[in-house]
Amino acid sequence: MPNRRTSYYSSRRHTQMNRNYNSVSYVSSVKLGPITHTVLVALMITVLGLIYLTQATKATSYDYAASAVDGKIAEMTTQKGDLEVENARLTALQTIKQSTVAAAMTSPSDTTYVNQ
Amino acid sequence: MKLLKFSRSNRTHILAVGVILLMAVFVVRLFDLQILQHDYYSSLANSEQVRQLDLPAKRGEIYMMSGDAPIKVVLNETVYTVWADPHVLIDANAVTAAVTSAVGDKAVSNVAELLSDTESRYKVLAREVTSAEANKIKDEHLYGVGFTAGIKRVYPEGQLASQVLGFVNADGIGQYGVEGALDDELKGTDGLLKTVVDIRDVPLTIGSSNVNVPARDGTNVVLSIDRSIQNKAEEVLQTQLKQIGDTATGSMIVMDPNTGKVLAMASYPTYSPEEINKVTDLAALNNQTITDPYEPASVLKTVAFSAAIDQGVIEPDTTYQNKGWIQVEDRIINNASKPAALMGEITMQTALNWSFNTGAVTAAEQLSLDKTTVDSQARNILYQYYHDRLHLGERTGIELQGEAKGTVVAPTDVQGNAVRYANMTFGQGLNVTSLQTAAAFSAIVNGGVYRPPTVVAGTIDDVGTFVAAEPKQTNQALSSSTSDKMREMIHTARQQFGYNNTDPEGYYIGGKTGTAQTIENGEYTFKQQTGTYAGFGGSSSSSPAYVIVTHVFMKDTQLGGFDAKTIFDPMSNWMIDYLKLAPKG
Repeated sequence: MPNRRTSYYSSRRHTQMNRNYNSVSYVSSVKLGPITHTVLVALMITVLGLIYLTQATKATSYDYAASAVDGKIAEMTTQKGDLEVENARLTALQTIKQSTVAAAMTSPSDTTYVNQ
Repeated sequence: MKLLKFSRSNRTHILAVGVILLMAVFVVRLFDLQILQHDYYSSLANSEQVRQLDLPAKRGEIYMMSGDAPIKVVLNETVYTVWADPHVLIDANAVTAAVTSAVGDKAVSNVAELLSDTESRYKVLAREVTSAEANKIKDEHLYGVGFTAGIKRVYPEGQLASQVLGFVNADGIGQYGVEGALDDELKGTDGLLKTVVDIRDVPLTIGSSNVNVPARDGTNVVLSIDRSIQNKAEEVLQTQLKQIGDTATGSMIVMDPNTGKVLAMASYPTYSPEEINKVTDLAALNNQTITDPYEPASVLKTVAFSAAIDQGVIEPDTTYQNKGWIQVEDRIINNASKPAALMGEITMQTALNWSFNTGAVTAAEQLSLDKTTVDSQARNILYQYYHDRLHLGERTGIELQGEAKGTVVAPTDVQGNAVRYANMTFGQGLNVTSLQTAAAFSAIVNGGVYRPPTVVAGTIDDVGTFVAAEPKQTNQALSSSTSDKMREMIHTARQQFGYNNTDPEGYYIGGKTGTAQTIENGEYTFKQQTGTYAGFGGSSSSSPAYVIVTHVFMKDTQLGGFDAKTIFDPMSNWMIDYLKLAPKG
């Protein structure tokens, strides 16, 4: 294990609590200089930025979905309005008057009232 | 102190200094961009990223009554303007063929010619294209063709009640009728959307200054006008006017005297709101019943008799000496007819039956101190009834644009002398609209309660429920006993001359004619007279179900109350059937 070093020390805690145990720590033989640290910090910031961008993009994608739904609502509203207009035209008095049903109607020849 | 050790390296030191300098440059530049030039770049970014869009409010729709149910008679339809960018068109012939086959006459006449102008970036190919027609074009997937949506007001009933409805002009502003009078309520309030958008103008929620104020749609108004009654009124009016003469004009109002609701309001000539651009005679736009004050003549004798009876100075059987004329100050007022058999002592009822001016003036004289003149006391009392109680000569406040005020000269005015007030007793010397006459006549026969006329029955709320309008403030213009006596007098007056010969048996129908000279060049002329008829009907003698006021006019022609009665008669009989009134007994 060339990249590890075994060291022994006795902390106050160990002294008091674990008198008969050794404490072991491993120290990497790779040393990171200040530039590496800086680069790592920059990378971490970049990752955080990417995470933020991902979230922002995700929110924006919801906007597109909402926009699509709004468009659908507008389209359906337009269709509903068109149908209402068509319905109003079909039930207009002039249309009814010109219908074959109306043409076949006759006036009552006599009217009686139940209270007479 | 690893940093200290590190700083001892020249290369590292140089690098660090370089980085620091570079960062310093960045910081300085960023300070310049973000702090010193913040406002400039901020506005530059906003102009590119932020869009401010108006959210147009939907104009309220208008309903009429069909029996007890409201039905839409004015709606909104989404229509499109089809345009093309000739500069980028791939196949102009295909565009021409698709547009002309899809929209027919709505396409401009020279589509191919417009598209040949390849320098142009915008050419309108068709207007007011429906969604279905637009979809046919869209299905062709033509590059360079676009659609701009808009809203068009639709009137499926054609010209029905056009002067009541009015129309919306090219700027979206209501004109005439209900559209004009209730424009603020109908148009609603536009909303506002201020937001960051992407390159396709899709609104995004990012950004801290987004504004979203939703549009408040206009109120959906329900009119008291009954579609069937309105249709019949227009039909009867036009038919009868054509029998009177080709150039005859006229109007008719049908009211419910017990509520003040106008059930029909027709004027002729008329027009179709969907073809407003084809109107050549602007008079057709006017609702004559509210815009044209005139002298309704003897119809208003009912007001003079009402005032005298209500003041307790006459009864229907009160007698007076009829000479065929009566002098008021320096003027002689004649009766239109002077049958010898009716010279001498006659009753007020007889005077009303024969429409004697002497009877109406005598009734007014009974209001004076000496009972023989139309003195200031008589004039004050008459003004109180004509103007203050029955609201003649003042706007009724009906929800229609362009209502005229009319004129009833006050006794305090220098023109408010005895002669004028004598004339007013038989409906001349004043100007009132047909609507004012109808509202006053309704009060005379409905128990004495003046109800301001209205064409609005209520509104339709957001969930489609009808909400009735608050009733307007009323006033007791006459005592109920006066109203009872007047109703019987007017009913009796209709029996005269066989005027009731078309009335169905078992119904209680009354009416009064009015024939007035018109003024030409400041003088009354006999060669041109107008006719008015005001009547009521119902199955009960105590509660009339409808009031109808008709008016006819034809230039250089002597028309009279009888001509107006020819419009009342068929309408009255139809109303009895339509309202399913059972005969009494």
